[in-house]
Amino acid sequence: MKSRYDVVVIGGGHAGTEAAAASARLGCETLLLTPDLARLGQMSCNPAIGGVAKGVVAREVDALGGAMGRATDSARIHFRMLNRSKGPAVWGPRAQCDRGLYPRGVRQVLDELGKLDLFQELVTDLRIGGEGDFEVVTRGDLRFSAQAVVVTTGTFLRGKIHVGGGGGISGGRAGEAPSVELAEALEEAGLEAARFKTGTPPRIDGRTVDFQKVKVQEGHGEDFRFSLYTREAIPEQRSCWVTWTGEGLRTVVKENLERSALYGGEISGRGPRYCPSIEDKIVRFPDSPRHQVFLEPEGLETQELYVNGLSTSLPADVQLDFLRTIPGLEEVVMTKVGYAIEYDYFPPHQLSRSLEVKQIPGLFFAGQINGTTGYEEAAGQGVMAGANAALRAQGRDPFVLDRDQAYIGVLIDDLVTKGVDEPYRLFTSRAEFRLLLRQDNAGRRLGPVAKEVGLLTDQQEEALQNRLNQEDGIRVWFSETALAPAAVNPLLEEAEAGPIKEPVRARELLKRPGVHASALAKAGEAPFCTEELEDALTAVEVEVKYAGYVTRESDRASRLREQAGFILPPGLPFMEFITLSYEAREKLDRIQPGTLAQAGRIPGVSPADLQNLMMEVRRWRGKVGAEEESAEEE
Amino acid sequence: MAEPDTIAAVGTPPGPSALAVVRLSGVDAFSIVSLLCPGLPENPEPRKAYLTRARDPSSGEGLDRVLVTFFPRPDSYTGEDMAEVSSHGGWLSPNLVLEGCLRAGARRAVEGEFTRRAYLNGKMDLLQVEAVLDLIEGRSRALHETAVHQLERGLSERIGGLREGIVSLEALLVHHLDFPEEDDPPIPLERIRGKASELAEAMDVLLRTAPEGELLRDGALTVLAGRPNSGKSSLFNALIGEERAIVTEIPGTTRDALEATVSLGGYPFRLVDTAGLRETDERVERIGVEVARRYLSGADLILFCVEDNRTLTREEEDFLAGVRETPVLVARTKADLTPDGLEGSKASDGEVRVSVVTGEGLDDLRRSVADVVFSGLVSLGGEVPVLTRRRHTEGIDQAKRELEGFQNALDQGLPAEVAATHLRPAETALEELLGVIPREEILDRLFSEFCIGK
Repeated sequence: MKSRYDVVVIGGGHAGTEAAAASARLGCETLLLTPDLARLGQMSCNPAIGGVAKGVVAREVDALGGAMGRATDSARIHFRMLNRSKGPAVWGPRAQCDRGLYPRGVRQVLDELGKLDLFQELVTDLRIGGEGDFEVVTRGDLRFSAQAVVVTTGTFLRGKIHVGGGGGISGGRAGEAPSVELAEALEEAGLEAARFKTGTPPRIDGRTVDFQKVKVQEGHGEDFRFSLYTREAIPEQRSCWVTWTGEGLRTVVKENLERSALYGGEISGRGPRYCPSIEDKIVRFPDSPRHQVFLEPEGLETQELYVNGLSTSLPADVQLDFLRTIPGLEEVVMTKVGYAIEYDYFPPHQLSRSLEVKQIPGLFFAGQINGTTGYEEAAGQGVMAGANAALRAQGRDPFVLDRDQAYIGVLIDDLVTKGVDEPYRLFTSRAEFRLLLRQDNAGRRLGPVAKEVGLLTDQQEEALQNRLNQEDGIRVWFSETALAPAAVNPLLEEAEAGPIKEPVRARELLKRPGVHASALAKAGEAPFCTEELEDALTAVEVEVKYAGYVTRESDRASRLREQAGFILPPGLPFMEFITLSYEAREKLDRIQPGTLAQAGRIPGVSPADLQNLMMEVRRWRGKVGAEEESAEEE
Repeated sequence: MAEPDTIAAVGTPPGPSALAVVRLSGVDAFSIVSLLCPGLPENPEPRKAYLTRARDPSSGEGLDRVLVTFFPRPDSYTGEDMAEVSSHGGWLSPNLVLEGCLRAGARRAVEGEFTRRAYLNGKMDLLQVEAVLDLIEGRSRALHETAVHQLERGLSERIGGLREGIVSLEALLVHHLDFPEEDDPPIPLERIRGKASELAEAMDVLLRTAPEGELLRDGALTVLAGRPNSGKSSLFNALIGEERAIVTEIPGTTRDALEATVSLGGYPFRLVDTAGLRETDERVERIGVEVARRYLSGADLILFCVEDNRTLTREEEDFLAGVRETPVLVARTKADLTPDGLEGSKASDGEVRVSVVTGEGLDDLRRSVADVVFSGLVSLGGEVPVLTRRRHTEGIDQAKRELEGFQNALDQGLPAEVAATHLRPAETALEELLGVIPREEILDRLFSEFCIGK
């Protein structure tokens, strides 16, 4: 451990670990500080990575060289490809992970990196000297200086836990202390804070569940991997189960509603609409006869189950009461109570697209501190903030992903441009170019960019090259290989696609509905491993089957990029542009967009404002130009 | 810097008139008018007319007795501070007042600048801007009504509603795509299809108004055709109400085509009187015949003149057979010369007997002409907003094509997210119509159509 670092990362969750790893991969001397090294990459809520859109982000983090993909592969005990019945463009890989194996996987990735020190201590102060001059102070008064700092404190800033009414207990996660001093230090630096809440459901002892009364949900095979660069062995697989709440639970919740911290009026922060507590579900949807409850394994060596769908802030005795109304859980033993947590976040309009605090160059924020939820969203920001902190320390240009490049680009642009009014989660609908941002092409989209910036290790660069070569090989095979009727007619028949009489090229056959790339490759005895390259085959399938649509989408993206090219020069006096509405001027001044397109995405900036802005900028340029000229003449 | 300057212009046409209005818009509108009219109170009440004297701000020379009204922002036409100075009309007074304003610090407005500012300040959307233009220029009652409706946001609301429909389609899909594991069962594709068909139908209803709607602005090109001396020019004059064409007894007097814009039955028409259709060797006359053919090919209506007292010749029958694509209304001319009146008339059903001498049948003809060309709009009776410009038709047509692309993709069994690539472009097409997405070319073209004072 040294006293001087290029980059110091505060926090060791999904954002912090990725930020530290990214910075180290870029060659910066990096220190990660966390109050508890045993909980690096801890899954504090649902023990699952991925889902619709979120699964794509996990793969994007991996493609950028991050730890999340590998750690998930090494810890997953149940896997499903969500939306499998829909088109491949919206497939969402999701893995239930062993709560112990996941952090171990993360730790292993971090330990492989040189230039990265881990240290366990709570940060109490952040002193800002000048640009590139930070001092991070810990409990016990250890001091570390850094050129750039990444803050990833999750829900710990002034965290307050609510289990039923009674005012709540201070804490960052169940059983862990909050960071109060750091929150104060950041506010003193002039940053604006706000408050959100989120919640988590109770856990139960699996040995007390009557599995005859619940429905089993099996996983989807073992071939899939999140990571493109390192193929980890996956652990033994487990099942999940589904059951439903009914009238009994509704009665219990209704009778005890006033004992809920949410409905007792003790929680002021805003929670996510898409992840309501069971109290919310009962109150807001009184006509729904039942609600799904997923029982998810917490790990291989524990019988504990996560009760997904029952997030709550009701007191412990009520939680046990309502659990026992659910079919299969009549005799259940609760192992941990569910709780709601309120925490500080810093409204993200205070950041630039590189996740740097606008008013404090060198200071970066990532994860829940920016008002997001989700491990994947946190990890995505972590990579970008860590990379940009390193680039800042190296005096290089920031690394920014665009909306048509990655969900991470959509996420960060939404955060800094639109701000948040509820904890932010990604959906496919937030992306304008859903067909381009797929889980199967994350490597091709982001691998080369990551390599160019320097975010990949040597091993990753090599793996990327191999992989891209293999993918090219697949494309060539499909365009050049003619398949014989005998080989493919059975599968064509199965797809009701009509048999062939002469050999036909694989690519042509792939255009037919219901005919899949992996089936063709197997039937044609293709010289590549269809299991390991499943996603590469999916990518080819999408490109061939929906060729016109994919092209249209990319054309639209490039047209938008052109339009987005109207640059708003830094230092524009937005408040003086009185042809714009006052609201628009204020927002523009707050957010300082870099392009007209970004300005257009700010809520409250009307089209008329944009038009005026364009004219004002022209006028401003003319005036500044004239002043410079006359200055030169003098 | 960055203060938009204050603009001024005479808002009424030049020439002798009782009144004329000079209007100003911009931050200095009040102070400039106060310089011009020192007799005004320091803090005039909004929207109250003050009778006062205008003086040249430099020389103090009296210019006129004027009526001044202030409209403070944002409740003014442009959304900026505005002032209106009513002076006497004529060549001099309004211009002296305007020059006084310019000397006091205003800048002469360019074409359409007031309305442009109104648009930029969010006081109206693009469709409303176009409506203002139609109001200024419109010559028929029907266009006027349509424009008023459009100015009241009738069309804007209809198009805004279509846009919301597209957004709600997206929302249905999102539920389908983003929440695969929820309590509620997935939304049936049928519901999405049904919603899409509803929207397509609503777009069709609007699009069906377009052919006639566009004629509302330009006027329906109506060509008077017929043998030489069949009464075309007399009828032309009777319809436009002035002796525009030369009317003689000698066949073939009208050498070239004459054109006039006229309101018939409340609808706008561009009436064209052509040379007789008879093939001729006379050179000058032939030019006229060629002009006639050129007009005929673009006509929205042919008003075919045949004397009331005779049957159609072979030549005339052939002509009518040759223009079957274009609506034709046969006017039975010189009805006053038919012996025994109605008894002796050779007119068939649907043909209108007219006499420019007695005026008989002229009103019928005006009504019939409007019915033939604008039957669709007449039957709608103002219930549906009307598309009066190519831009509207193209925008909605574009949105509809995208919507059809979406429906086709679903019908072909393509996944919903693939089909959905059509929805954002559909939304964009509608947003451009409203001017939600500013496109400078549209604006430049539009605002250049304005006269100065609006």
